[in-house]
Parts: sequence; structure tokens; C-alpha cells
Amino acid sequence: MNLAIDRTRCDAHGLCHALLPGRIDVDEWGFPVLRDVIVPAGGQPAVRRAVAACPSLALYLTNPPPITR
Amino acid sequence: MTALLHRPLPTQDPFDTSAWAIGAPRLLAGLQHVERLDVSTHLATHGPLPGTDLAKLLAYLDGGGLAGRGGAGFPLATKLRTLADGPRQVIVNGTESEPASRKDRVLLRRTPHLVLDGALAVAAAIGARDVTVAVHDEQTAAAVRAAVSERPDARRLAVKIVPGGFVSGEARAVVRALRGGPARPPGRRTPPTVDGVLLANVETFAQLAILLRLGPHRFAETGTPAEAGTTLLTVGGAVGRPGVVEIPLGTPLGIVLAAAHSAEPQAIVVGGYHGSWIAPIAQIRLSRAGIASAGGTFGAGVLLVVDHATCALGELARVTGWLAGESARQCGPCVFGLPALAADVQALAMGNAGAVANAFAHARTVDGRGACAHPDGAARFVTSALHLLHDETDQHLRQGGCGRPTLGRLPIGATR
Repeated sequence: MNLAIDRTRCDAHGLCHALLPGRIDVDEWGFPVLRDVIVPAGGQPAVRRAVAACPSLALYLTNPPPITR
Repeated sequence: MTALLHRPLPTQDPFDTSAWAIGAPRLLAGLQHVERLDVSTHLATHGPLPGTDLAKLLAYLDGGGLAGRGGAGFPLATKLRTLADGPRQVIVNGTESEPASRKDRVLLRRTPHLVLDGALAVAAAIGARDVTVAVHDEQTAAAVRAAVSERPDARRLAVKIVPGGFVSGEARAVVRALRGGPARPPGRRTPPTVDGVLLANVETFAQLAILLRLGPHRFAETGTPAEAGTTLLTVGGAVGRPGVVEIPLGTPLGIVLAAAHSAEPQAIVVGGYHGSWIAPIAQIRLSRAGIASAGGTFGAGVLLVVDHATCALGELARVTGWLAGESARQCGPCVFGLPALAADVQALAMGNAGAVANAFAHARTVDGRGACAHPDGAARFVTSALHLLHDETDQHLRQGGCGRPTLGRLPIGATR
């Protein structure tokens, strides 16, 4: 599974960074920067919690991975 | 350099349809005599289109190789192979949103039947119910409608005008607009083939019409071993002879510049405003691989000359500001990052010492972080310029400028 962001939905709430500081940084405007997108098969509870917590439904898990970045 | 086509007669329409060729023209064949090839002149010039099916189409594409001509260079054969089952549709992307590019509109206005041949052949091969030609302007739409009315086999062909600016020409934005949605790239990167949509650039369909007539062997008689055939360029900037130019793939840059009556170049912008600034080295081969080895991207074949009379950083700042304004304003990194990048380039042109590092940092920040490749393209445009123009940058930092005016060699479109 890959972690991905629908950039058209993201409003820089910052919850994903707070919940997954190792995987997701934020830029100077507060928008997420994905550092590690690969999630092991079966997923990780912390990742799933972060996906569920995104207020804009922008953070998602995708399988197969996106065509490009 | 042979067979340079004559400049067409001026028309009321301000759109410049000048076209010429280096070597024997294929796509532009017949246009030395007339402004537009109607269906009978088209058939007299190119001959009838041989019948085809999917197997033959794929065999020809594998033999000749046909990278998409919309900018990304995605192979047509891969699109055909990954097309989903179910109802299928062919879309000819004629939106040509790159401000300096004219090749697609020149094809649709001057030799539309070649494009329709390619689109109808693909539609027949994949069993598509209908074919749509998407364009941005009324004049081009009228030209295609006129061509459709000339041939009975094109009854299922629709011409649609989709609204919007630079990013609205992106494949998924075009599909979305045709379905009644906003003309903006969707947030998830699903290719149109997943929905049974075969979308390709205008020139790709025209090249296919040539490939089907010549067969893969004769198609590869010109071009490079890896990239067969010809390609269209749109040449502009500081040249005496701007226009759409058909060249064998792999033609050296110096030959095209000489044929276009170019001024002494300071830099070349290749691939348009999602493309790159490259050094004006005459030996650079104009093919995807040739441009890539020079550190650039071929894109949709735009070639613009920045001469010594103009301030290159001023030109860069002007286009970067325009790119920021062309954001669809839906992705945060693009909405905030591109204006920041444009401000950095502006500050750099004014001689601000910290601006170079800021521009590189902002380019890195936006890269790859949009729904479409607009931020990536803008970042590439700026970083390639800064790498190339370091002497110029030093001069601006030391003296606050280079003493040259910004002449607007790089055309920017009217905001739509």
C-alpha cells in the first residue's frame, strides 16, 4: 500500500503531521510533505488512524500505487 | 535544408499559421500550395488511408514507435494496451494551452483530415462509439467542423470547446471538462485509459495517419534509430522566421536556428514553460533523447530563442509570474509556492543576494506536490534557468541588473 494525498482536498490542517511526524513533514505554509509513502501490506494502525483523522479526507491509502509521484 | 514551405497568405484571423519544413515534409505535405487541404486535396496528397485493426495498429506502433506529442511523450501503444474494457471513447486533445505552441492548431486548421484519419483509425481499431475533438478556441473548432462536414465517415465525430487556461489542457482536465465538470485536473492521478478513454495529442493522431500509410519501415526512413519519423516544432522568440516547423527527429539545433533566421542566442527555451533553458549549442540533436542529454525536456516541441538584446532574468521573471497566475488554485503547494517562487525570481532580477537560494528551495518545495504537473514544470523551468544563467545572475547581484530591457521574447498567453 502507498500513502497518498489528494492535493485538491488538503487544507493544511496538519493532523497527519501531528499523528505521523516520521512520515509526514509540513512545508512553510503547513501543507504536508510525504517522506515515506510505502506502507507494509496489512497496513499500520497508526497510518490508518491518520487517514481516518484527516478532516478534508485528503490523506488516503492506495493500491496499486499512483502512476507518478 | 530543403523544401522550405512558403508563408501562407495573411488572413483576417490574427492567428499565425506559418509553417515550413526542413527535409521532406510529411505532416505538412501539400501546404506549400494551399492554406488548407480539403478532403480531395488531402487524398491527392496523402492517398487513401489503409484499413486497420488493433493487431495491425499495435504491430505498426511497435515497429515504428510513436511517442505521444502532447509533451509527456507517453507511448500511444501503451495507452492502447492498457485501455479498459467496456464502452470506449477517443478524444483528440487540441487544447494546446502552451502559450508559445501553435503546431496543433496549425494541423487542425490547415490539414485537419490527417488528424481525423488518425482518430477514426484508432476509433475503428478499439471499437470506440464516438470521437471528440477538444479545442480551446472558436476558430479552430470551426475549422474542424468544416473538415467533418466534408467526409461522410466522420458523422460520429463531435467538436467541443473546453474552457480554461494552461492547466486545463492536461489530459484528465480535458476529460473532466468534457463530462461537464470543471476544467481542472482531478486530485487523484488515475489515467483516462482506466475509464476506456483513449486521449492523445493532435499531432500524435496525425503522425499515426502517416505511419498507417507508410508502414513502420518507411516511417523510420527519417529520424533517429530510437525515435523514428519527423516532429513538429513551434519556433519563436528572437527569430526572423517564426512558425511551425517539421523536422526529421534528431536534426541539430543549429540547422533549425539558421533556417529560422535566429538572432545570436543567449539561451534557448525548449519544451515550453514546463520545459527547460538550455545552452545554445548548435550540435544538440532535436529529439527526446538529444534534448534530454543536453539537460532539457522536449515537451510539446516549443523552441524559443532568447537573444543578447534582452534581459534573460527579466524574461524568466515575467514567465514565472505568469505560471503562478495559471495555477488552478486547488493545491496548496502550488497556490502558495508558485507566487513565492515568482517573487524569488523577481528579487533575483533586482539583485537580491538571498534570492537564488530561496528560489532553489521553493522549487524543491513545490516539485511533485500538485494534482497535475504544473508545479513540477514551473520548478524545472526556473531551476534550469538558474543553472544556465549563473553569469547573468552574478551580474545582477553585483550591479543590480544587466542594463538590458526585458523585451518579452517569451510570449505569454492572455489569461482566459
